[in-house]
Amino acid sequence: MISNDTVLMAHLLRRAGFGASRDELEEYLAMGYEGAVETLLNPSDPDNMPDDLIRRYHVEQSELRDLPGSAAYWMYRMISTSCPMEEKIALFWHSLFATGYVKLNQARALLNQVDMFRRSGLGSFEELLVELSKDPAMIVWLDNNENHGSAINENFGRELLELFSMGIGNYTEDDVKECARAFTGWTLGNAEYMSIRAAKDSIWPYGRIAWHFDYRREDHDDGEKTFLGETGRFNGEEIIAIIVKQEATARFVATRLFQFFGADEVTEAGEAVIEEMMATYFSSGYQIRDMLRTLFHSGFFKSEDARFARVKGPVEMVVGAIRMAGNYQSPSLGIEKVSNTMFFMGQGLLRPPTVDGWHEGAEWIDSGALVERVNFVAKELSDVRSPGVRSIIDRLEANSDQGVLKPSDLADGCLDLLGPIQVSDETRSVLVDYASRHGDLDLNGHQPGDQAEQQVGNMLRLVAATREYQLA
Amino acid sequence: MSTQTKSSGIVLDYVKTIGIVNNGFSGRGFANPYDIAVGGDGRIFVLNRCDPLRAAAIRIGICNLDEDYLGEFGRGYGDGDGQFIWAVAMALDSQGRLHITDEHNHRVTTYDTSGSATGEYLSHWGKAGAGDGELNGPAGIAIDSSDNVFVVDQHNSRVQKFTSEGKFIANWGSFGSGEGQFNLPWGAAVDRNDNVYIADWRNDRIQKFTNDGEFLAAFGSSGEGEGQFQRPTSVAIDPEGFIYVADWGNERVQVLGPDGSFQLILRGEATDSKWAEDYFASNPEEKAERDVSNLLPELPAHLNTPYHVSSQTEPYFWGPVSVSLDGKGRLYVAETNRHRFQVYQKR
Amino acid sequence: MTTTKREKSLIVIQLTGGNDYLNTVVPYSEGRYYDNRSTVSIPQEQVIAIDDRYGFNPSMGPIKALWDEGKVAVINGVGYENPNRSHFRSMDIWHTAEPDTIGKEGWLGRAIRDLDPQGENVLTGINFGRGLPRALGCPGVSVASVGDLETYGLFPDVQDEELRTFTLEAFSRMYGGAAGRDPVMELLGQTGQDALQGADILRTAPAMYSSTVEYAPDALAQNVKSISQVFHAGLGARVLYTQHGPSFDTHAGQLPTHAMLWNEVAGAVGCLMDDMKEHGTQDDATILIFSEFGRRIKDNGSGSDHGSGGVAFLIGGAVNGGMYGEYPSLAEAEQIEGDLRSNNDFRSIYTGILEDWLGLDAAPIVNGQFEKFDIFQS
Repeated sequence: MISNDTVLMAHLLRRAGFGASRDELEEYLAMGYEGAVETLLNPSDPDNMPDDLIRRYHVEQSELRDLPGSAAYWMYRMISTSCPMEEKIALFWHSLFATGYVKLNQARALLNQVDMFRRSGLGSFEELLVELSKDPAMIVWLDNNENHGSAINENFGRELLELFSMGIGNYTEDDVKECARAFTGWTLGNAEYMSIRAAKDSIWPYGRIAWHFDYRREDHDDGEKTFLGETGRFNGEEIIAIIVKQEATARFVATRLFQFFGADEVTEAGEAVIEEMMATYFSSGYQIRDMLRTLFHSGFFKSEDARFARVKGPVEMVVGAIRMAGNYQSPSLGIEKVSNTMFFMGQGLLRPPTVDGWHEGAEWIDSGALVERVNFVAKELSDVRSPGVRSIIDRLEANSDQGVLKPSDLADGCLDLLGPIQVSDETRSVLVDYASRHGDLDLNGHQPGDQAEQQVGNMLRLVAATREYQLA
Repeated sequence: MSTQTKSSGIVLDYVKTIGIVNNGFSGRGFANPYDIAVGGDGRIFVLNRCDPLRAAAIRIGICNLDEDYLGEFGRGYGDGDGQFIWAVAMALDSQGRLHITDEHNHRVTTYDTSGSATGEYLSHWGKAGAGDGELNGPAGIAIDSSDNVFVVDQHNSRVQKFTSEGKFIANWGSFGSGEGQFNLPWGAAVDRNDNVYIADWRNDRIQKFTNDGEFLAAFGSSGEGEGQFQRPTSVAIDPEGFIYVADWGNERVQVLGPDGSFQLILRGEATDSKWAEDYFASNPEEKAERDVSNLLPELPAHLNTPYHVSSQTEPYFWGPVSVSLDGKGRLYVAETNRHRFQVYQKR
Repeated sequence: MTTTKREKSLIVIQLTGGNDYLNTVVPYSEGRYYDNRSTVSIPQEQVIAIDDRYGFNPSMGPIKALWDEGKVAVINGVGYENPNRSHFRSMDIWHTAEPDTIGKEGWLGRAIRDLDPQGENVLTGINFGRGLPRALGCPGVSVASVGDLETYGLFPDVQDEELRTFTLEAFSRMYGGAAGRDPVMELLGQTGQDALQGADILRTAPAMYSSTVEYAPDALAQNVKSISQVFHAGLGARVLYTQHGPSFDTHAGQLPTHAMLWNEVAGAVGCLMDDMKEHGTQDDATILIFSEFGRRIKDNGSGSDHGSGGVAFLIGGAVNGGMYGEYPSLAEAEQIEGDLRSNNDFRSIYTGILEDWLGLDAAPIVNGQFEKFDIFQS
């Protein structure tokens, strides 16, 4: 029997990470649930593939000029990190503050933004918004380099309110204009030259020049502004201080966190958790980490209702399968193809389609994307040469009755070790029938790649192709 | 005139920058250059490692110091004869044969560049393995006065000595940080006395051996200070014994005296190449903005690492992966991330 | 082969990277062309003249043959106002028909939705190549992306045919029986069934096709061959898309590269037209060829850099061949930042295709009213 603790821990690790191999799961189980939550929420000094190794073999990931190499560079980080929550929160903010290569032609700037999400993504939402407003990639993405004291461009000011904090209906058009005025002069170094290069995606003569924030005092409108009922000679920081005080902001942030880490759909029980997270938002001084702690300890999160209540996003799907299979643990030819695969599934890292981000949840699923999703994980998890799959085979043997597995043992064992995954009775009976094709499986004396191991690989392929595996 | 710091006699004057991004499959310009070899006739061979988007474009380009682009050779991407997957380094022997390592194909490929030859494929040698003469990730390569070939066998943590036809002669080294041990070694060089120098990449030092592999000395330690290294990738020795090191992780080049004493640091001072000037001639509006931009900006604290500084400061070295010398006291520094090389002249 | 009257189809060949207009349709009688292109020009005697002022690139022979048959419409000076010279952004603009803001829906995605509002045929729109171009993307519209027609579908890496069949059967059972589940499980079940069905139908296409035309081995020709197979299988495919590149981005060593690329494009188009002639379908499909932008008027000594104003082609039996629109002037005063100034909005081409070829209401698809050329035979 699979213990409830195991089921719950696997659930936590699918949400606060990218799922877990059985070895990883056991490490976290040894900490207890509370200890595991704290470990995940307090990433320090992650163990991951070192930059020097990556750059030595992958010139494209040293230069980080082009999209596929840059997405692959982040992939390596997600695949190899010992602190998965750090990457998961970066992915969350990347989805919410969606900034895309399409307009920037500057992958390095996007990766610097992702680094900022790692650095600040679990801390204060107020500080995060300030950093976001100073982020050169965001500045170009939403035209704040065109937002001048003499003539405002309200694109960033509007999206800051509409898409990044309060949501529509909680401010007036005047607030948008005043907000934009406060961010005049917030630009990037060599803004004019950099925007010409971005606009023609010119890489000549010597590749890209990375970006940094620049404040042009002379271009800042220092006059009096009235914003959400408060008046003063506000600069950007003061505007953000007002934004984060709003109840609408608390609700917005709590809801988005809930939908990414809790469940796609907000039910009544979910709504209650969101209220708790909002209370934590204010009591903690806008700390994201504390809001997530509230979520992970909530009764709803621990209940059956939250389990498998999210459709895995393509990145979660791909990274989860690779981590489970134990592949790409050192620089390897072909990693950029993996990052392209996520794009084919509908989620190209560093290239969200619009500032709205991706349409998540059930909208990940269409027939083209489903074929890509199933094919990728089925291939990744059925390859018996992969270290993670080898370890599954060893565990199946160790857990069996003298090395022999009945068809139902094989099906249940694979479901357990890839999750545990809960499947419907119909799905399970198909899996057992499939396993029955060759009768009992004898793993005694199995050799790498032999028929017995292939049978496990075939079973894992089918488990990875279930509807249930599509869910987190 | 320069960003170099000096503590003693050697002076290097910046001469020029050659290169431009080439994101296509042929023609002038470079794509992630990884090594340079200079022929006696002044032809400069540039190994284009190329990224996966342009993997098929992997090739060796030829130009000269006057910035004439003379052509290119190679047979494309793959494991067929004359092809490369992850090409690393090159060395010319006395017969004008260019030997090129490939750390993915685990072999050394030889092209003829003698006389008027512009890169005829001759042969390749080496096979994957850990036995004598077998290779696992061949990286740096150097050739002594008798045309013996030294190949840095990175994943086997050793140096192997071959004839120029690839016949095994000897090897030395093991994994570790002690004398004569290596941790993912990369570049190699030979001095006028045929001593062998190895850039012991992950041990952040240069080791010096006799021609037969007897340990003589080690120079450097981990760090950003003078005489310290972060992942040195390449080494070259001039006739007076000065040691030039591509201090890759620190985005700089260091020169040591023959005894290993610190001499000077180059940070890079690139200017527009002829090819860059051509580009700007047909893109004047871009040039106009460039001219009024500050290409030596001050950066916020979180970007104040050598890598980030170089990514933002175009004249500086970025990814200075190899140092090469010609017979006239010139130093060539290939920059992977800037698709160019800078040339310096020893006074 | 089906003999029922077929509906009109659109075949799109996207030239990725920015095709050099000046060296595609060459203004060989213009001194200014040769003045600006001191290195990267086509000598007058090599141009395949189509009139006394303009001619095709020498590697476009098969397209010239079609031109002589009156089947090629050259649409000059296409682009949009405030040209963007970024590959990604400009391609995005062409894909979404939305030059000012970042668009959400592809123009062909919308067209497919209008062609098949109930989503009855999962093969109304098909892309050949991996990864769906944004032109075909539209929420709720299912478009198959076919990397390799032979292995298309689920579990392509399973070599053992018996094992693959057995696995597909299990998949079908696992994704069946959707009733009574929660909506997400139901959606997954339905989508899985759709995917199986689409793959089953598509895999029949090669068997239903025979032809004496031999396509070249290059990637574009092979994708165009797949297009022909699916088109001729009578599966109701209305929009068939593929792309070639990104090598059209010829900043260096342009002349040989550009010649090779057009050799491939012209070869593939010639084969496809021959194929359609053989099948008597030449009036049933039109080929659109476009690129995200043209290139700078002045060369850079080795290649040419990103520009604006480009050229598009419509080719087919139902096309009234000829030159459409003005070739933009090379005079300095007429240039826009060193580029050809476009004088035909790309959405006017779309409008013509949508209204006069596919019979759709164009304005909601291309976000506005655009004057169109009279390119299609009525």
